[in-house]
Amino acid sequence: MADSGNEERLVQELQRELEHELARPLDDAELQRIKELVRAQLEAELRAKQRRAAQEKEQEEYFVRFSMNFCLQHLVLAIGVILLTITGLPIKFHDSAWAEFIFRNIWSLEVNRVIHRVGASLLMLVSVWHIGWLMTREGRRELRELLPRVKDFWDFIANVKFMLGLSSERPRFGRYSYSEKFEYWALVWGTAVMVLSGLMLWFHRIALAYLPKYIFDVALQAHSGEALLAILALITWHMYHAHLNPEVFPMNMTIFTGKISKKRLMEEHPLEYEQIMRERAEAEQP
Amino acid sequence: MKRLIALAVIIGSAIIVSSWPSYGQRDPNARCLLECHGKPDFKREVAPGQFKSLYVDYEQFKASVHKEKLCVDCHTDVTVIPHQRRPEQIHCLQCHYQGNVVGAPVSERPEKYKESVHGKAFERGDPNAPDCKSCHTVHAVRPPTDPLSPVYRANIPKTCASCHVEIYTEYLEGVHGQALRNNVLESAVCSDCHREHDLFPPDDPRSSLHPQNVANTCARCHTDVKIMERRGVPVKQVEAFKKSFHGIAIEFGILRSANCVSCHEYHKILSSRDPRSPIHPLNLAQTCGQCHPNASSNVARGRFHIIPSDPDAGIVFWVYEFYRWLTIVMTAGFIFYIVLDLYGRWRHARRSSHG
Repeated sequence: MADSGNEERLVQELQRELEHELARPLDDAELQRIKELVRAQLEAELRAKQRRAAQEKEQEEYFVRFSMNFCLQHLVLAIGVILLTITGLPIKFHDSAWAEFIFRNIWSLEVNRVIHRVGASLLMLVSVWHIGWLMTREGRRELRELLPRVKDFWDFIANVKFMLGLSSERPRFGRYSYSEKFEYWALVWGTAVMVLSGLMLWFHRIALAYLPKYIFDVALQAHSGEALLAILALITWHMYHAHLNPEVFPMNMTIFTGKISKKRLMEEHPLEYEQIMRERAEAEQP
Repeated sequence: MKRLIALAVIIGSAIIVSSWPSYGQRDPNARCLLECHGKPDFKREVAPGQFKSLYVDYEQFKASVHKEKLCVDCHTDVTVIPHQRRPEQIHCLQCHYQGNVVGAPVSERPEKYKESVHGKAFERGDPNAPDCKSCHTVHAVRPPTDPLSPVYRANIPKTCASCHVEIYTEYLEGVHGQALRNNVLESAVCSDCHREHDLFPPDDPRSSLHPQNVANTCARCHTDVKIMERRGVPVKQVEAFKKSFHGIAIEFGILRSANCVSCHEYHKILSSRDPRSPIHPLNLAQTCGQCHPNASSNVARGRFHIIPSDPDAGIVFWVYEFYRWLTIVMTAGFIFYIVLDLYGRWRHARRSSHG
């Protein structure tokens, strides 16, 4: 091996230098000690090199977290929600100076309504698409992972303990942590309320024919209230988890690329990582 | 005897003077009146067999706001009496223009008349178009506070009715007309909604009746808590309207959206308890149906003019409260969680960097 040749050469060099300095030949015990030191040094260097290589490999290695289909759903949803937000807020806060500025200088109320309905159509499109997708094998698997479990509650408690410094370990999450599950189900609930109430407002002629006025008024109020709640959740919860969090700042690209680094997968979803590794090992074994 | 004669002359002349209509020899207007215009049958033949009275009721004139004025102050082209030519028609703006230093009580109002529907019609030569004297009379101009004035609040509908008689009958049937008949002077009269001098057609953005201004026109009285409480009328209707879809649409330029009068009618406004009223529950389907063709009797099931933050809104109030508290609690929770998470990360980072 090249390493053992290297080792011998180093030992001989050291022996020559020491004999020259001491002006006497080294005895066997001293020679043995030099050999041991050199070997330990070389081994340490080798280990460090391997660790660096492994680390680099780890950072480069990506796992597919979301399918293309899933990423596209999120993209359409995001565009829809942004359109709905920028056209919905000025209606809710029509008294404010900025709403007045928008309606008088940027786009009229008529245009606002069209954009809002385009956004609503995207939201409804993605809702139907998502429900259909949940029927597929991939969708069923994701839904199973997204179902709330008792573990999520204990994870939450454990995470709060960790944040407060009462425990030294973060809870180990599976494919979806409790915060991701919470956001998903909040989105499902919010979309249901917004789509149902929004359809009544959009098709008010039909609604006025079949529903009492107070139901219509309730729908309007729920639409307005749920919208603000959803927007505030987006600019706090979602903004933090997807953007401002030091872990992913300035932006978590996973939902757009579908890829997650091994490092983040191991940190954020250790149970899923272990599961993947187990599955791979099983697949490799004939 | 001489004394007696002198006394008789004095008494006699006193009697004569006091029995004189009401102007004395010293009144500078007397010259106009004594010979001609003070005689009730003084008239001019404008066409064969057609006469125009030229009589001036001087008692009325002396009770008017112009009682200190001379005839020739207005009829300035009369320089010799009796005048040789027919005097030109006078115009009130001779004195009532803004900036008149003589001190005729002037505001921008008389000038606004020129822009109004009446002024425009007059300019076009419409023989029915009213000018100042049509409402204010000619020689008996009294202040609006004088109950005998045609522009006194209680008299305004009748004054307008001299031309707009059909509208007057409609108005008298409505709540405002009924209230005025019952001597409720704070009830709305024509000029409260239409204005007096700056009276524009509804499609003019300056008009108080322009769709974007109707709510504010009604609001002049209907947001007045004192008046509305006295009459037992709810006071938040205008505010609720402005918060509604109809109100927002109107405000930002969708003029076909409903305003107050779309549902309440205008001259013949009736209480919702009146079966003839367009806002009576049984008539609502038809009223809403003017714009929303499918509207059924369901539109009557619920409250109108609701403000969600007001307990009077019923179930809508509870939905509002539910979302208000949910939003406050959730958002506070999110922010608290984020702060906690950042704190945890900071702690962890500090500990691991310390070894």
